[in-house]
Amino acid sequence: MTATPGRLVATGVCKSFGTLPVLDGVDLDVSAGRTLALLGPSGCGKSTLLRVMAGFEPFDAGTVTVDGEPVTGPSPTRGMVAQAGTLFPWLTVRQNIGFGPREQGGRDVAATVADLLEATGLTDFADALPRQLSGGMRQRAAIAQVLANQPPLLLLDEPFGALDAQTRLRMHEWVRGLLAERPTTTVLVTHDVDEALLLGDQLGLLSARPSKVVTLRDVPFGAERGRHTLADPAFVSLKASVLDQVLEAS
Amino acid sequence: MTETLAGVAAPMGVVVTPATAARRGRRRPRRLLGLLVPLLVLGCWQLAWQWELRPRTILPSPHVVLSAADAFFFGRRAPGLSGVVYFKGAGWTHLATSLSRCGQAWAIAVVVGLVLGLGLGLSRWVADLLDPFTNALRAVPLFAWLPLAAVWFGVNPTSGKILIFIGALWPVVVATTDSVARVPAAQIETARMLGTPRSRLWRRVYLPSALPEIVTGLRLSLTLAWTCVIIGELGGTTDGVGAMMNAAREAGRTEQIIVGILVFAGIGYVADRVLRLLSRRFISWSAT
Repeated sequence: MTATPGRLVATGVCKSFGTLPVLDGVDLDVSAGRTLALLGPSGCGKSTLLRVMAGFEPFDAGTVTVDGEPVTGPSPTRGMVAQAGTLFPWLTVRQNIGFGPREQGGRDVAATVADLLEATGLTDFADALPRQLSGGMRQRAAIAQVLANQPPLLLLDEPFGALDAQTRLRMHEWVRGLLAERPTTTVLVTHDVDEALLLGDQLGLLSARPSKVVTLRDVPFGAERGRHTLADPAFVSLKASVLDQVLEAS
Repeated sequence: MTETLAGVAAPMGVVVTPATAARRGRRRPRRLLGLLVPLLVLGCWQLAWQWELRPRTILPSPHVVLSAADAFFFGRRAPGLSGVVYFKGAGWTHLATSLSRCGQAWAIAVVVGLVLGLGLGLSRWVADLLDPFTNALRAVPLFAWLPLAAVWFGVNPTSGKILIFIGALWPVVVATTDSVARVPAAQIETARMLGTPRSRLWRRVYLPSALPEIVTGLRLSLTLAWTCVIIGELGGTTDGVGAMMNAAREAGRTEQIIVGILVFAGIGYVADRVLRLLSRRFISWSAT
């Protein structure tokens, strides 16, 4: 039992699909409450790694633990949001967000939901169906749906990949604010270097398939990150060097 | 958060795009168009009667059929012997009897079909166990069951209900099995991740996710059930629309037979509309 929950440790995680090796000894250590942004060349197995951590995908070797608990299957303590969104189309936004707490027979579901509706700016759309929302709203609702269970670990698999550039930028600022209020260990898989540098406390770089973590470094920007950071010379030069590394790795 | 909905946001957050608005406007004249063919048929019928293309006992006029229908439903029922099939004033009784037979058998078929379909679609074990059996049974033509049912139960409403049940069962089973098997894996993963135990997945995800397709199966099944009702009413009973039509044939009352056909058509149409309205109400999320 650690003081602040949500420390994610992966050691030597290997996974192959048939004869195709995808993960080749991935080592990660994300301390509680921090955000790790994972970059890597296309098709390097970033999503597979995330699915392994979520417990959706069995792996061949190595261990994944959250606060020392080994990951063996999906659990409400590890929430994952994918690019396509994970809302149930037949439930309203309110019902979608309340789904997790209700499944676990939680009390004060209504209060939790109201709180998250407020945080997502979706209070006015609480009774709308997912198909009636814009892409950005849908992804905010999907993140709220997962956070309703107050998971120590949040896994984001290119959650903003399908959004237009402006919406994405707004989503970055929104997620930063959301996670500041609700400290949650987060692993963000993305191919967007801006996104990785805006949201990550740590930056992990995966090699081409079969992939492992080749670099793991801290992101030297504080809490006050936003659209203005994009023009910061330090940001620009870091972005250039990270981009070089990503392209070299592929 | 200054972002708004795509299109024009209505107060409830419903997106009203120009396309849907236009579609709504066009609906009314299109519905009137649907009356064209019935009116044409009616006109031809009237002419055929006027020119006496067939003897008038075989081809009664629309007017005669209409008065027969009026008498059937709104006439005063004369007191008489039991064991006789009444026409005058007996419409509602016949109709209620047929509806109740159909409803009972259909309801059982729906429940059994849903359970069977969920089992076949969700459990590998159940599928391996039952698939060959159900597939073979499904290939038996509905009317091939009639001789067997007649031998076991006689030609009567019980046999009829069994046939309705069999006929109505398969569309439900097939629709449920197929649609449940097609539920996206991502929805299952999401539910599992959010804390739904495996034992509750069918109720939380499989059933609601598959519901639009299941409802299509239910509609088909209801239509089939209603068309099977007459089979059990050809003997062993004096009430039911089918019994009435059979008696009308024996009595040479062609107009009464046609009334029966109109009753079947009308009820079938109304039942399907009702089911469609209900499904729009409850599975509006899948509306395209």
